[in-house]
Amino acid sequence: MSAAAGQLSDLGRARAQPARAGAQQSRWSHLLYVAPFLFLYVTLLVYPLFAGFWLSLHKADFFGGSRFVGFENFVRLSNDKVFIGAVGNTFYFILLTVPALAIIGLGLALALNRTTPTAAFLRGVFFSSSVLSVTIVTLLWKVVFAPDGGFLANLFEAFGKQPVAFLSNADLALPAIAITTIWWCIGLPMMLFLAALQQVPRELYEAAALDNAGRWKTLWSVTLPSIRRTFALVIIIEVVLQFQLFGQAYLMTQGGPNNASRPLVLFIFEVGFTRWDVGYAVAAGQILFGLIAIAAMAQYFVARRKEAF
Amino acid sequence: MRHLLATLLSCVALASCGVRQAPNEIVVQRFFGTCKAEYGNRTDVENAEGECGIMTTLINRFSAENPDVKVRVSPVAWPGYNQLAAQLASGDPPDLVTMHLSAISDYQSRKLLEPLDKDLRAVGVDPNGFTAASLVSVSKQGQIYGLPIDNWAPLWHINMNYFRQAGLVKDGKPILPRSPEELLAHARQFKQATGKPYFVQALANERAAYTRNLYTLLMQQSVDFFADPQQVKLQSPETKQVVAMFRQLYVEDLTTKNQDYAAATNGFINGAGGVYLVGTWMIGDFDAESRKAGRPLTNGYAVMPWPQLYARDATFIDGHAWVMPVRDRTPRQRDAVFRLLKFLADHDFEWSRTGHLPAYKAVIESERFNALPHRSEIAKIATTGMPLPSAVQRQFPVQDIIGEEMAAAITGHKTVDAALADAEHRVNDLLFHLL
Repeated sequence: MSAAAGQLSDLGRARAQPARAGAQQSRWSHLLYVAPFLFLYVTLLVYPLFAGFWLSLHKADFFGGSRFVGFENFVRLSNDKVFIGAVGNTFYFILLTVPALAIIGLGLALALNRTTPTAAFLRGVFFSSSVLSVTIVTLLWKVVFAPDGGFLANLFEAFGKQPVAFLSNADLALPAIAITTIWWCIGLPMMLFLAALQQVPRELYEAAALDNAGRWKTLWSVTLPSIRRTFALVIIIEVVLQFQLFGQAYLMTQGGPNNASRPLVLFIFEVGFTRWDVGYAVAAGQILFGLIAIAAMAQYFVARRKEAF
Repeated sequence: MRHLLATLLSCVALASCGVRQAPNEIVVQRFFGTCKAEYGNRTDVENAEGECGIMTTLINRFSAENPDVKVRVSPVAWPGYNQLAAQLASGDPPDLVTMHLSAISDYQSRKLLEPLDKDLRAVGVDPNGFTAASLVSVSKQGQIYGLPIDNWAPLWHINMNYFRQAGLVKDGKPILPRSPEELLAHARQFKQATGKPYFVQALANERAAYTRNLYTLLMQQSVDFFADPQQVKLQSPETKQVVAMFRQLYVEDLTTKNQDYAAATNGFINGAGGVYLVGTWMIGDFDAESRKAGRPLTNGYAVMPWPQLYARDATFIDGHAWVMPVRDRTPRQRDAVFRLLKFLADHDFEWSRTGHLPAYKAVIESERFNALPHRSEIAKIATTGMPLPSAVQRQFPVQDIIGEEMAAAITGHKTVDAALADAEHRVNDLLFHLL
């Protein structure tokens, strides 16, 4: 019997004899095993969560000043056109990016799920954008979108069309940021899907081949059902990540024009750091937290219900 | 258990200590860009060009002349206040920071800055030698909270070659408009003659420039839009007229469009239009460009303050200063800070070569300053320049909000009335909720 198995066996015996003298002391000492995790979890996650909510009930700045105002910050937010616009922008951005990231990521994974050197090289190429910093990515894409001599402007002119000022157009600014983000973030979903595809048992494909299933039939009936957990994971991860859009909007448009590309995190940043209205910013942060939690849990429960069927 | 506790405490101690300063080391945090590749260790201030070059060589020379002091320079992206707020909140601010004169009130009112009067006088810097605009901006509640570096204002940088082509030059000087109507007429005349827009403006990803132009033209109409420092009034006929004028320029393609700051600056250098609306800091670069052969600005660059379009000759001004955040310092660090401030005050002329107006009366009245190119044309700003009332707090976010709403109106995303109503509401909401 291995040492670990022996310990488990000992633990089982300890559970089976609850009345034994000294058991109480023994259980408390077991707490030490999880104490470091609990300490970090409580101080770095639980406490800030409640402290943040408490702060959102105050008018406060960075430098110690604070006054309790109850739910005034939340009432202000409900009447703040810029905040409401930022919430709308954030949802629109998620709609633009998450399905695209999931579908393109899956497509790339399906195309590159093979053992040839070319596929390995292309996997590296498609993942390489993910290692760049947001500064580099936005600099690059600003050059692409620039209406004076930018890549797309030159392309438009080559076809005799007027260049489009993507980042100065209220209808195109957020889609332009979404394209930038998809290019930047596509590596992670692709890798997750690749990992999932490599877990699908070969026997299933052999059985499908014996049944004369075509490529599409195999994809719909074998591949996709086999990776549905990863699909849900990718959607949840991307929803949570894209809710936190900040750097791209900050560097490419500063939230403009006319608030058309200001996401929630940029709103929180501006209110907190530029205006020093920290209580108000944290109240907006609480709402962002709630939205992310609802979205992630909704995804999770939908995925679980589907599995149950 | 004791071992565990000791290990934990060691970890906490290790995590809490950042890069510790030596007793003779001071940290100087500044904007003005980075230029290490060109000016890394150079100390020849006289040969340096541009804000970054001159500031870098100045600090390098101070370090060379004061080997007992270690100066650690920390350049920040303009304007760097978010970083500074975080540093102040965490109790780890730098020793000296560049700050706009308009931002000093925010920090001073929260007691985050040290008054400097006594120590400045002790090292031989007399605040009475500051220009009036600088002195009023660094004075709060009877004390001096910064060493002024300069004053700056939005200016008209003019491509005289195009102006000549458009018939807008007389006796070698540009003909400037004297009313909003005349401005539009000149702009149309210019466009017809040259095919280029009259104005080059940074209209994309930019907020401050819109607001500075608006402030200037409201000051020229003697509109006291901040009569109450906690409430702005922007829904006046005068404000609407100014915004409508910029809108008209935009609609008629009399200005460049969709350019950010870098694109507009390059555009002006490459002959994109007649007048670039940008501040004093570009004079040196454009003057250097005008001395190159075969360029759009060759022998054809002039710079003027905003022309007087209304009854009063006025221009909005701001400026830069060195401020000293409150923190613990060793006597040697404190001594080093004031030695550096004295050095920078003594070399304000060198800084004025950037194009900014000197912060010292002796420099602005000196022959060598007035002998610098184009300085005589803009010297009057020392008397016509007007800052916002110093009691107005959060001038930077206020500027951002007004600029954002003006941009929406000028580019046609909102009506002028709606944009000004929104700007007024947003600014007043911000100021009403100050702690």
